[in-house]
Amino acid sequence: MVGGGSFEFEGLQTIGIVCLVCMFLKLMHLLGLINFTDEDSSESDLELSAVRHQPEGLDQLQAQTKFTKKELQSLYRGFKNECPSGLVDEETFKMIYSQFFPQGDATTYAHFLFNAFDIDRTGSIRFEDFVIGLSVLLRGSVHEKLKWAFNLYDINKDGYITKEEMLAIMKSIYDMMGNYTYPSVREDTPFEHVEKFFQKMDRNQDGVVTIDEFMETCQKDENIMSSMQLFENVI
Amino acid sequence: MAAGVAAWLPFARAAAIGWMPVASAPMPLAPREKRRTQDGFIIINVSGTKFQTWRSTLERYPDTLLGSTEKDFFFNEEINEYFFDRDPDIFRHILNFYRTGKLHYPRHECISAYDEELSFFGIIPEIIGDCCYEEYKDRRRENAERIQDDADDENNKEGVMPDMTLRQSMWRAFENPHTSTLALVFYYVTGFFIAVSVIANVVETVPCRASPGMIKDLPCGDRYALAFFCLDTACVMIFTVEYLLRLIAAPSRYRFVRSVMSIIDVVAIMPYYIGLVMTDNEDVSGAFVTLRVFRVFRIFKFSRHSQGLRILGYTLKSCASELGFLLFSLTMAIIIFATVMFYAEKNSTASKFTSIPAAFWYTIVTMTTLGYGDMVPKTIVGKIVGSVCSLSGVLVIALPVPVIVSNFSRIYHQNQRADKRRAQKASKEAGQAFLSKTNLSFEKEHHHLLHCLEKTTNHEFVDEETYEKNCMEVSSVNPPGSRCSSISSQHGLTSTCCSRRNKKTFRLPNSNMSGSHAGSLQELSTIQIRERPLISNSRSSLNAKMEDTVQRNSEHPYVTSAIISIQTPPVTSPEGNNTSDSPDYSQRNIVKVSAL
Repeated sequence: MVGGGSFEFEGLQTIGIVCLVCMFLKLMHLLGLINFTDEDSSESDLELSAVRHQPEGLDQLQAQTKFTKKELQSLYRGFKNECPSGLVDEETFKMIYSQFFPQGDATTYAHFLFNAFDIDRTGSIRFEDFVIGLSVLLRGSVHEKLKWAFNLYDINKDGYITKEEMLAIMKSIYDMMGNYTYPSVREDTPFEHVEKFFQKMDRNQDGVVTIDEFMETCQKDENIMSSMQLFENVI
Repeated sequence: MAAGVAAWLPFARAAAIGWMPVASAPMPLAPREKRRTQDGFIIINVSGTKFQTWRSTLERYPDTLLGSTEKDFFFNEEINEYFFDRDPDIFRHILNFYRTGKLHYPRHECISAYDEELSFFGIIPEIIGDCCYEEYKDRRRENAERIQDDADDENNKEGVMPDMTLRQSMWRAFENPHTSTLALVFYYVTGFFIAVSVIANVVETVPCRASPGMIKDLPCGDRYALAFFCLDTACVMIFTVEYLLRLIAAPSRYRFVRSVMSIIDVVAIMPYYIGLVMTDNEDVSGAFVTLRVFRVFRIFKFSRHSQGLRILGYTLKSCASELGFLLFSLTMAIIIFATVMFYAEKNSTASKFTSIPAAFWYTIVTMTTLGYGDMVPKTIVGKIVGSVCSLSGVLVIALPVPVIVSNFSRIYHQNQRADKRRAQKASKEAGQAFLSKTNLSFEKEHHHLLHCLEKTTNHEFVDEETYEKNCMEVSSVNPPGSRCSSISSQHGLTSTCCSRRNKKTFRLPNSNMSGSHAGSLQELSTIQIRERPLISNSRSSLNAKMEDTVQRNSEHPYVTSAIISIQTPPVTSPEGNNTSDSPDYSQRNIVKVSAL
């Protein structure tokens, strides 16, 4: 009994002393007299967001695109207003694009779109990429536009559109619709749509669509050709 | 959608080409886009300061003044600019809103000036950005409180309205004892009796010298039982009468019964009645004694008499969360320390720490640094724990106290501000009367107009007294009666007619008149103040001041304040005042008259 009692006593004493020592150390740390962590806490404060990009000169851009100087100026003003650093990263891009489709989820499609614009795969869209892409879409020939669309669908940029790639694109487009549609989007609606697409496009039925097949089929389809001219006057 | 994002819409539309090849149906036609002219500059001249921006920047918000064709009204062909005679400093923020899509509120600007500019340019204040929204809301709340205080003051200062029922006048007498002498007397009498009752309760328990024939000292309450009983009865009767009168006079009896003060009243007088009703039953006499404890709640009735007490109560109520946190953290600390203490002292001989709840008492006494010494640790560990306990106790209690103090200070200063403003009002109104002397030509033209009105309607303006007299004679007819009420309500207000008009607009809806009737009536009533002010006898010293100034420039017997008369109606009608429509309308009427 006595032995047990003294153990208890010693145990408590030990705990008390340990607690006291810990608190003392903590107090010292609080007062700044001791430093436990490494001395790198100060460096994180100096991390500037030094990422900034200036576009090429106006003349060069004018040579590369089909926009006039005034159009380029107004485009850049809007671009710079929204992204003062001169670069659009994927997150910002997704956010901006999602604002136009509030009822659905536009992030997946925005991801594909981002990759289509970010030609050199830097991970961010600069003004040049932006304006070159827009130039193709708004002022390019139908051939160029179709090529751009093919590039969008071809996710891995290997020159072939597979069914999986198309399915991914289709799903992302249907995602943008959201839940409240009439008639409702069923589980297999994207799949059926992809099947229809492949039936139309895939001439030699090899399960992939090459750029030539794509061009050929589109040029024969009146609806597609007329819809390509739809957004001529956007800028 | 933010303005910046709207700039990306063309991009989003262009990117829609990506859907074309997979489309299942033909696309709809593009919307007809008008031939977009090249974006041009637009120059806005605000009181001489020129601002320049693109037209498309302004067109981002088409339902504001600058974004719509409304700005064409301000276009000046001579200088080929849009000219606004407004404050350029505030306009800067408004223009920034168009540019960035975010509206900011500058701290150094006056809130009402800012609100006015916003309403002029058709921008709703709710879109102020998060960075400035809190500040804006705080300032607006303060302003609304100030306006509310002023309105309350006006309500309080006005004299008795003859058409107030007895009930209403009684309620007003109860709520504001300073309005009439009878109310003041009642107020002091009840205060006296509260004090008497509380002192009697206290003295009752003091031991008095034993009556001859008894050995022990008796408490005074038992010795002079009859006297104390009579005193108690008298006090309770007065309190009962007061409570019943308040109940009768209350505008909403249900709300009154639920209010804190009435509950305190009831609790204060209940023990007496329960004691009367109960017989000398031994079983319940214990409970009866307990009930007597509630008599001490009478002391809370003093809070009607003391504003400081009310502020304290209000502070505690508003700091409820801080107090709750204090209580919670104390409880946590008490439990922890009591437990450790108990186990530390468990083995010491003859330890007083018999259980953890017993250790609670020690912990509480130690943490609040009382240290009675009835329970003392004997072991070393116990002593260490005890010292840590007392050190931490000071800290835990000291933490929420500044929050409570700052709350109290804020509310207290608010009240002080109200009192200060009341005191300043006198000097302010004197200053305004002084100001009004300056714009003489305006006054001349104004009064010529009123003269014309007199001639037109073939009526004359009379001063207040005679009109009231006429009113009383015709008191049976309703509309003149209501007219009287609105007129007499102006008595004791500021001397300037136009500012009186402003105040009047708040009261007109009470008199239940139609809008047009109100308009014409206002002019009559306001004018009569101005005519022959020498004759009117005024209660307030302010009017006397006006008379003095008026006598000085006798050729201009009318005292107006030009500055106030052109005041635009208050933009932010405070706190859902749904009578604000008619005041705005009638105020605009007035503005047209005086603006010439």
